[in-house]
Amino acid sequence: MLDSLWPLLHGAITGTIPLALSSFAIGLVLALGLALMRLSRRRWLSSIARVYISVVRGTPLLVQLFVIFYGLPSLGIVIDPWPSAIVAFSINVGGYAAEVIRAAILSVPKGQWEAAYMIGMSHRRALTRIILPQAARVSVPPLSNTFISLVKDTSLASLILVTELFREAQQVAAFSQQFMALYLEAALLYWVICLVLSSGQGVLEKRLDRYVAH
Amino acid sequence: MKRHLVSATVLTLAAAVALAGCSASAGDSGGASGSTTGTDDSLSSVLESGTLTIGTEGTYRPFSFHADGSGDLTGYDVEVATAVADQLGVKAKFEETQWDAIFAGLEAGRFDTIANQVSITPEREAAYTFSAPYTYSTGVIVVPSDNTSITSFDSLNGKTTAQSLTSNWYTLATESGATVQSVEGWAQSVALVEQGRVDATVNDKLTYLDYKKQTGASGLKIAAETTDRSESAFAFAQGGTALADAVTDALATLSADGTLAAISDTYFGADVSK
Repeated sequence: MLDSLWPLLHGAITGTIPLALSSFAIGLVLALGLALMRLSRRRWLSSIARVYISVVRGTPLLVQLFVIFYGLPSLGIVIDPWPSAIVAFSINVGGYAAEVIRAAILSVPKGQWEAAYMIGMSHRRALTRIILPQAARVSVPPLSNTFISLVKDTSLASLILVTELFREAQQVAAFSQQFMALYLEAALLYWVICLVLSSGQGVLEKRLDRYVAH
Repeated sequence: MKRHLVSATVLTLAAAVALAGCSASAGDSGGASGSTTGTDDSLSSVLESGTLTIGTEGTYRPFSFHADGSGDLTGYDVEVATAVADQLGVKAKFEETQWDAIFAGLEAGRFDTIANQVSITPEREAAYTFSAPYTYSTGVIVVPSDNTSITSFDSLNGKTTAQSLTSNWYTLATESGATVQSVEGWAQSVALVEQGRVDATVNDKLTYLDYKKQTGASGLKIAAETTDRSESAFAFAQGGTALADAVTDALATLSADGTLAAISDTYFGADVSK
């Protein structure tokens, strides 16, 4: 049990955690753009975002991973395992988080917009200074959900040659034949990582509270 | 309140770790399958239920696959397993799963046996019970046809190959010094070789020949072949000797009456059962 802790931790530190962090960061930027596009009055912009979100949410993540890694080479596009995984996860997070951010922006009372215009702010300024900080507070719990899901979804990357926590567990299990013990150990590690993330969520919520008008 | 939550979590965690530790040590002493101690009811339970449940991949041509991709489950191993079940006077029921989950499934009692070109290796013999072999084959290194740097198992040293984690080819490739990328099965392995993402893959010669015949893949070749033949057999949970012996008897009958040779001829155009 203790012998296997190191390979699993190694998988978490070199695989699961960096994969989740980088994909989430890229995915969030993508999501913010998509949410704003979706809210845009320009029809073509919001249509693009709508189609993107529909495709991402309407297809399994595993299929997306396989298309990018095993499928694209038939078009002559060969991407390494790690970039493939990050691309797939970012695209996926982008789709889900876009709707979270859109909802958060819509949840800020209309009066906040009006008050901002009243004191002479432009649309862009009102958005970045007044609306987004308040939307950020609202979106923390659902975005934490997305992030926590992502942490666990990274186990799918093992199917496209990325060695992460779960693949390490499978490798150890394959040789020690201790399937139950190793899978339990992997489950525990995922849980611990997600516990840490949940406590981070609490801190973030408290910190962002100060931006909200009461 | 918050402090209570934290300590409760820590306690739960500690308990869970302790539990996992217990189950691990129980496995060490060989009590995991439960059939090593007490009476061996592996055969009687199969006869009683009237069904032999067989774990197989369903994606491993020509041993276990779906005809035309979406038709019925068929293949050399599937037909042999069905014939064996007939001999035992029970119904054959196939459960399809990924190769890397197959031994875990056998251990967990999800199926009675595995029919999927399972090679007999010393490591596996220590953990499982085997019937007599019913397939003999060699292992080959498959490389792109323009590859000249791999000519033997020794030359795999420092190269990258794609293998299933729990397969004996994984062990062979590792022992030859290759860096192994683990994949789910033959389909992904050969795709990675063809896409140039790995240097080679080690697998059963019969699988490779069938793949070449089916797809007409011209970009691949055999770089080397093992000298000793591998033997494949039905695998059972450790201690399932009664069932393994009954299957061995059934195989002997099927071999004597020419059934095995006939099935083999259908898939390989040769008798690989001897």
